[in-house]
Amino acid sequence: MDHLIFEIGLAVALIAAGGFISAKLRFSVIPFYILIGMAVGPHAGQIWHLDFRFIESAPLIEFMGRIGVLFLLFYLGLEFSVGRLIKSGKSIAVGGTIYIAINFTLGLLFGWGAGFPLQETLIVAGITTISSSAIVAKVLVDLKRTANPETEMILGIIMFEDVFLAVYISILSGLVLSGSSTLGGVLLSALLSLGFMLVLLIVGRKAVPLLNKWLNVSSNELFALIIFALLFIIAGFSETIHVAEAIGALLVGLILAETEHVHRIERLIIPFRDFFGAIFFFSFGLTIDPLALGGALWYSLGAVVVTLIGNFVAGMLAGRSAGLSPKASSNIGLTIVSRGEFSIIVANLGKAGGLLPLIQPFAALYVLILAILGPLLTKESKHIYKLLNRIFKFEKRNRTDEKAALGDDPAG
Amino acid sequence: MNLKETDLPGIGKKFVVTTRSGDKLVIIVHDDGRRELYHFKHDDEEESISMVTLDDDEARHISAIVGGINYKPKALETIEVALDDLIIEWYRIESGFKCVGLSIGELNVRQQSGATIIALIDPTHGKTINPGPDVVITANSMLVALGERQHQKRLRQVLLNGGG
Repeated sequence: MDHLIFEIGLAVALIAAGGFISAKLRFSVIPFYILIGMAVGPHAGQIWHLDFRFIESAPLIEFMGRIGVLFLLFYLGLEFSVGRLIKSGKSIAVGGTIYIAINFTLGLLFGWGAGFPLQETLIVAGITTISSSAIVAKVLVDLKRTANPETEMILGIIMFEDVFLAVYISILSGLVLSGSSTLGGVLLSALLSLGFMLVLLIVGRKAVPLLNKWLNVSSNELFALIIFALLFIIAGFSETIHVAEAIGALLVGLILAETEHVHRIERLIIPFRDFFGAIFFFSFGLTIDPLALGGALWYSLGAVVVTLIGNFVAGMLAGRSAGLSPKASSNIGLTIVSRGEFSIIVANLGKAGGLLPLIQPFAALYVLILAILGPLLTKESKHIYKLLNRIFKFEKRNRTDEKAALGDDPAG
Repeated sequence: MNLKETDLPGIGKKFVVTTRSGDKLVIIVHDDGRRELYHFKHDDEEESISMVTLDDDEARHISAIVGGINYKPKALETIEVALDDLIIEWYRIESGFKCVGLSIGELNVRQQSGATIIALIDPTHGKTINPGPDVVITANSMLVALGERQHQKRLRQVLLNGGG
């Protein structure tokens, strides 16, 4: 254990180097963290004192990555509010439903068509359905698209996906982690995890006044300790009854979002989320052997193509339902195609349940491709739209539709 | 002016302003305190013509200037103070208005419009609070009137066209 701190220091330095490169190239940072993790690891060498195999520290790095997931989802819960979802309007509900219906169905079909068993198919569908909130929000701000008319729809769909993710992971973790093989047992565990979520939310809502009192402390140290205790106790307990710990963390976030201390909690959590979140992507990369990626290559490429088509079509339909122009609608699909943290969380769930080892390299390649390609597509959306418009004639159709809606004769 | 406010979850708040001049201004208040102002053409909602990014302190300074806190714009055509549905309006009387040279009684303001003139500020004679029917309206004076929106609308017509 003598080199432990040194190894961790080396790992963090590598992650920082990845972040530095991504900032220089003005790229989304997530793929770089994963790539750096893949470049080192058990297959890598040792140069003098610098041991790039991270043998001693591997369990610790993995643990830090796990905490990273907890912070990511805890923050997601804090940011999320039911009132906001209800307020977000009908068009977004329609758009979100369209998106999930098309892409989740395609994911299931893809998994089934690729010959995966049932549980693996469900995992693959989860991996391919959920966009990366982190990348999408960052790309929108970086490309100065926040004022565009389609941005509300994009963020609404992302919010919708987060809800879907929460429910889906809780059901899936009941399925995959319980290890029961009979249909009755599986249903029971899925019901148990959903029931646990509901109970926790109801009790949590009732406990808000109590939490307000508890958290009303001037000492920052004590405040942090209370928050962390709540987070780890509830997330850890979730794991013992086969509800993914990530969902436990999300629920704690949802409950604490109702308290009057929510902004103070956010300020406390953000640095932890950023630091441990980065380690999470790195540790995911560590578990991937680049030489083992070959077997997953065609699966990943196939999934990427399916995702691109599904996202674009869903975006066009969602945009049309909200009355956006074809050009603005095409931006929706080309923006929400980025994949990242949530796909990896679902893939890790498969790993925890002891499913096919192919899932990990498949998810790694898939996320890498779409974390790099997604922001590029968003950036070049104007040209892509022009190209597709030449083939599919969106605008002409749109005009015809409008004329038909006005009761005019399109020929006139 | 038409103002619409929406939430951008995870990013901040968005305000869309459509001005009387026909311009569309979109203001994004980011959660991290930055502000972005986008200017759109009214016929093209997709591409902003120009945009400005401001830090929190810059935005506060500029808001003070725009709000007229440390600088009073000279071209105040009408200032509105709304009390429920009652509005107080300031009218600058241009020399081309037909009401110039007529008295308030001759214009028959209250019967014609329903609005009440509560003050007349004349650059040469000074202020007249609650002017009587014999007070004559002069060019370049400022007229303050109280009434509901439709009264104010009719009063503007009376001032422009000089009574009924």
